Amino acid sequence: MTPLSVRFRSQAVGGAGFIGSIIVTLFGLLVLTFIIGRMMPVDPVLAIVGDEASQATYDRVYAQLGLNRPLYEQFFRFVADILRGDFGVALLTGRPVIEDIARVFPATIELGTISIIIGTGLGVPLGVLAAVRRNKWPDYLVRFFGLIAYSTPTFWIGLMGLLVFYAMLGWTGGSGRVEIFYTGLVSPITGFMLIDSVLVGEWDVFWSALRNIWLPALVLGLNSMAYISRMTRSFMMEQLGQEYVITARVKGLSQNQVVWRHAFRNIRVQLVTIVALAYGGLLEGAVLVETVFSWPGFGGYLTSNLMIGDMNAVMACTLLVGVLFIALNILSDILYRVFDPRTRAA
Amino acid sequence: MKHLLIASMTALVLAMPVPAALAATPDDQLVIGLSMSNILTVDPAAIAGREATAVVTNVYDTPVQLDAVERTRVNPGLAESWEISEDGSTVTLNFRQDAKFSSGNPVTVEDALWSWKRILQLELVGSAAWQAYGFTLDNFDEHVRAQGNSIVVTLPEAGDPLLILYLFGKPSAASVVDRAVALEHEVDGDLGAAWLTTNTAGSGPFVLRNWTANDTIILDRNDDYWGGAAPMRRVLIRHMPESQTKRLMLERGDLDVGFALSVPDINALSSNEAVEVQAVASSGFYFLAVNMKDERFANQETRLALRYLIDYQGINSTIMPNYGVLHQRPVSPGVIGSIDDPGYTLDVEKAKQYLVEAGYADGFTVKLLALNEPPFLDIATSIQGTLAQAGIKADIVTGTGNQVYGPMRERTFEMIVGRGGGGQEPHPHSNMQALVINPDNSDDAGLSGLIGWRTSFYDEALNKLALDALLERDPAQQEKLYQDVQYLYEDLVPAVQPISAVVDTVVFGADIEGYQNHYGWTTRFNTVSKSR
Repeated sequence: MTPLSVRFRSQAVGGAGFIGSIIVTLFGLLVLTFIIGRMMPVDPVLAIVGDEASQATYDRVYAQLGLNRPLYEQFFRFVADILRGDFGVALLTGRPVIEDIARVFPATIELGTISIIIGTGLGVPLGVLAAVRRNKWPDYLVRFFGLIAYSTPTFWIGLMGLLVFYAMLGWTGGSGRVEIFYTGLVSPITGFMLIDSVLVGEWDVFWSALRNIWLPALVLGLNSMAYISRMTRSFMMEQLGQEYVITARVKGLSQNQVVWRHAFRNIRVQLVTIVALAYGGLLEGAVLVETVFSWPGFGGYLTSNLMIGDMNAVMACTLLVGVLFIALNILSDILYRVFDPRTRAA
Repeated sequence: MKHLLIASMTALVLAMPVPAALAATPDDQLVIGLSMSNILTVDPAAIAGREATAVVTNVYDTPVQLDAVERTRVNPGLAESWEISEDGSTVTLNFRQDAKFSSGNPVTVEDALWSWKRILQLELVGSAAWQAYGFTLDNFDEHVRAQGNSIVVTLPEAGDPLLILYLFGKPSAASVVDRAVALEHEVDGDLGAAWLTTNTAGSGPFVLRNWTANDTIILDRNDDYWGGAAPMRRVLIRHMPESQTKRLMLERGDLDVGFALSVPDINALSSNEAVEVQAVASSGFYFLAVNMKDERFANQETRLALRYLIDYQGINSTIMPNYGVLHQRPVSPGVIGSIDDPGYTLDVEKAKQYLVEAGYADGFTVKLLALNEPPFLDIATSIQGTLAQAGIKADIVTGTGNQVYGPMRERTFEMIVGRGGGGQEPHPHSNMQALVINPDNSDDAGLSGLIGWRTSFYDEALNKLALDALLERDPAQQEKLYQDVQYLYEDLVPAVQPISAVVDTVVFGADIEGYQNHYGWTTRFNTVSKSR
């Protein structure tokens, strides 16, 4: 075999192994979710028929949901349906799960993306500042602020935010993705309210969406900011203590050049992982913030379905979260290669 | 290049139209905030729970409407009049001719018959109401017949015809569906069930324009409604699970009506002149129940002890304001046969004596189930404290609705703080049926819809007396019989001890007129207007 074919073969084997590991991970995730879901003392039938339904009605729905079949059969039927692209119908909405996810997930991506921009935009500079001014008042301030933002429950910050910025100042529209009078004016195109409203030229809806998103995004963003700034500070301190930084200073480079051109460049790889993980966490949905702001997102959808024991929806959501994290991992791998030349050689 | 990009983005933002300052809710739209977690369907025959009932009531019509204030009054609906035969065996509903579905199709008696039979054919949730009076799929055609523009209903079992009339005001049992539209969407002989889960085909004062689960429901006015067009052009319902969010929005005037606010929020709003708090006696009771399959509770002395281990007055004065009012009898206040409370109070010494007689002088340990929300958990905590005074150690186990009521339906629970007991019809039989009567106490009977069966409480004489009361045609005698049932129930020391009668509290803007919360959850939005 030529060296080229050996290399191609090893790449193919590596690729197949990678895909295999993804499949095994996702399958394991499904098995685990299904077992936990079925072990929970939640009865989806009661959620549907109510507490006072007759036994005949109960039995009919029980059979209709396939709950009379053995557990393993229920599981494998579900997996077989997924392989055919059929995720089933959600009990909560009576609509296909996939349609529901297509509706709630963009709401979460929209909120999560703005939150992570706020979190990273504030967290990274503050973390760098804290590291550079270590044990001085900017450092104490950043650490104190970060600790407060990280340890205060988000729903409480959300409620206080609503009290101040909605009830007292009127700077935000309150609950939901848009103020209630604008509901239904814009049909989903991309599913992102800020984009769709502009695409159809509904500027009132755009402003309403902007008024409604900034506060929940800020609440979530502050939480991410606290985490990102702490991590940035710690990564930067490690770099600033390295010999190459001393060398750079000796060579007479300015503080800005030392910090941003040299030290910061070396923490970008680690930061990417941190930000990707924080973003993944936001995309899973933030149930408490969604509840406080009546935000029709993914977290609330997943939780509501979990509460009524609707395994079709729960399993589909779990699968999506699994795929999401794998995708974010791949993305951070790619960014590693961009930021760190050493990884490109491998 | 970088500067150019920033400059152009700034220009773009500045060029965007600036929003007009927002006023309160629009004059011709009603904005409602509630938790939509329990709205799983808009099929009238499949609904369970108050929020879904409120939506369906406004989209579908029933032959009659039960008055929201005067409990025993019946108002016309799709039937403009009705007659009850002299012997009480027949109810005739005379349908109005001017009613149309939102599709434009006329509402006919055939639509009504099809809609109701469908409930029994598909064994939907509403079938329990029909079956309670002896209607089955097999005898339906015989007992519910069209006669010209009327529907003649003969009672399959001896009973009070008033109850049958009330049945026709219950949305889950008697909503009339546009047969032609439903059948257009039939799949595999489902009589349109799948389509009706998310779509509507009714003749009510509003039409469902859009339902996005756990987000929004939009109802548009039906301009051709037989009762006249509603003052509100549109009803917007938004999913708001968080009470404080509703409170803030009510205070700002961005919400017209808020359902199910927490009591601290209601108390805070009570002093706000911009809103009105409406508390209405609703249906059912908050109760403490035990399972008589458990030998400890099969013992009447133990149950007597429990009767005196509840701090009724304390619970009702501190926990229950805006949730319920003190009530200790199994019949709803205000219906025929309703009598004064027996006046039970917390009496630990008396309870201890009964426990000694029962053979549990040292008490015992019991698992007490309660929903993980107020006021259930608070009631359970109070009872836990008073039980402990007599040496009974109660371990509180909390959970969601189906976690708590599941073991009760399966008769595997020990003790529970629950809510229920009928009362959606203004007739004591509604309470008797749910709480007192247990026709067959065997496990195989599977009467899990009846609290009597769930608690394994069975007494033949009581069953008979409740049935005699139902059949009695002389009003005075019937009233006396219903009183006798309650005295006998008290003597037997039931497995269910009511603590409070349920109160429903709704908060709405002071400019809202004509909003009347309904005890049977059938609140109508077409009577609502705004005075601005």
